[in-house]
Formats: sequence, C-alpha cells, structure tokens
Amino acid sequence: MTNLAFASRKPPAGAPPLIIGWCYRVGISATRDQVSQALVQLNQHLIGLGLARDALIAMELVLAEVMNNIVEHAYCDTGQGDVALEVIVHSNTIWCQLIDNGRPMPDGKLPPARHYDLEAMDILDLPEGGFGWGLIHDLTSSLSYDRSGAQNRLSLSIDLDC
Amino acid sequence: MRVESDRIDAAIAIQFKDMFRDMATTVDGPVVLDLAQVTFLDSSGLGAVVAARKLLGADRALELAGLNPAVEKVMQLTRMNTVFLIHDTRDAALAAHGVAPAA
Repeated sequence: MTNLAFASRKPPAGAPPLIIGWCYRVGISATRDQVSQALVQLNQHLIGLGLARDALIAMELVLAEVMNNIVEHAYCDTGQGDVALEVIVHSNTIWCQLIDNGRPMPDGKLPPARHYDLEAMDILDLPEGGFGWGLIHDLTSSLSYDRSGAQNRLSLSIDLDC
Repeated sequence: MRVESDRIDAAIAIQFKDMFRDMATTVDGPVVLDLAQVTFLDSSGLGAVVAARKLLGADRALELAGLNPAVEKVMQLTRMNTVFLIHDTRDAALAAHGVAPAA
C-alpha cells in the first residue's frame, strides 16, 4: 500500500441524482505490470456492477494512459514510487482521482492532445507514440491537474452514457 | 499471426514487438495479425503494432483481423483505422488473400 492520502471530496454542486454510489481505492507501485493488474481487477469489479461496456472501455483506456504516464514520466521508469487510484461511481459518472509523488507535469499543466495527419504520412514515418493525451482528452468529460507540495493530483470523469 | 494475449498494453508492448520481429523474419509476404483474443489495447500497444507495421517495410502489408470493441475504439480515435486494412475475422482476411482457412 502507499503513503499517499486522499483529501475528502464531494460530488460537484448541481450533480444529477445519485444512481449508484460505489467507491474503490487501490495503491500500487509504479510499474507497468502493476498498472495492468490493477486495471484488470478494477474492471472485474465494475463489470460486476453492470456498468455500460462503452464507459468501461473508455475508463480502462484513460486510466491505462494516465497511470503509465505516471510510471514513465513522473517516476521516470524507475519503478520506485507509489500511485494511488480512487474510483467513485456516482451520478451517472465514473470519477477517478490519481495521486503520485513523482515529478510534476511539464510546465505544471496538462499536456495537449497531439494530432497527426496519418493519411499524408509515409508508412515508415508513422508515429509509434504520442497518442496517449489525445485519447485521454477525447474520452473524458472533465480533466484537471494540480500540483500540491510534492504531489501530483489528476482528476477526471467519464460519463456512463458516453 | 495470432496474438495469444488478452492485452497488448504497456506491460507487454516490448515483448510483443520482439516476438513479432522473430516471427515476421521467418516468412515472406503480407502478414495478418489476428487480434480476436485481444480485449484491450492502449497507446503503448498501438505503438507496438505500428512498430510491427514499419518493421515489415513498405513492400509487405500488415493487416488486422478480429478487432474487439475496445481495440476498435482505439483504432478509430487515433485514426489508425485509416492506415491499416481491417478484416472482420481471420478467415475473412485469409480469404481476401486467397488462402483457405486452416482447419
């Protein structure tokens, strides 16, 4: 388990009426294998809740991208460090918060989506990376980042009827 | 080539690339990647599939078959579905190349 603590959170004012209230927290070491295992477990729980398949696909993909970014960039692939994930299903939305003690985001803010003109590219010039933030921005209905002290906090949400 | 893993993600992307390279160099001609068992592909996994495509060079095709919904979603969002020829099933892909499906 990790030494990272969550601040208490409330659903935003004006949120639609509660349909499901469900909360899940997990702490992992910052490795790709642990990210993969944590997502498989989380998905099994959420499938058990009967949530829409498309929302679960979006959530797993977004969490894989943000958690692997933490592993690779915040912790520089050292495998040293903790990642805490909190998932709340509430008000027709999946709310996720990620906390880590790694390096801050470049310039202290969320990287933008990168766009490629793939059809104009030669096969051998195709990009092998740089898709992550595009997927994250596309699949989330809210996304925010803040650095507080030595901690990165990333909050995001995914609509259950996306 | 059939991928016998449920996931092509950051945890196995490098292993996937290495295995693809080993297999692709033992045969000639176009390659169909059967992804029917793969239920999850992230951007690292997609990067590995693109790397596999580039490894074959411009003269050999890499086509995909049997995309599950989560894999199809990634291909659509990244527009990689415009780069790869995608078949519904492995048998459809083989038929398109005039190969009878293996029993």
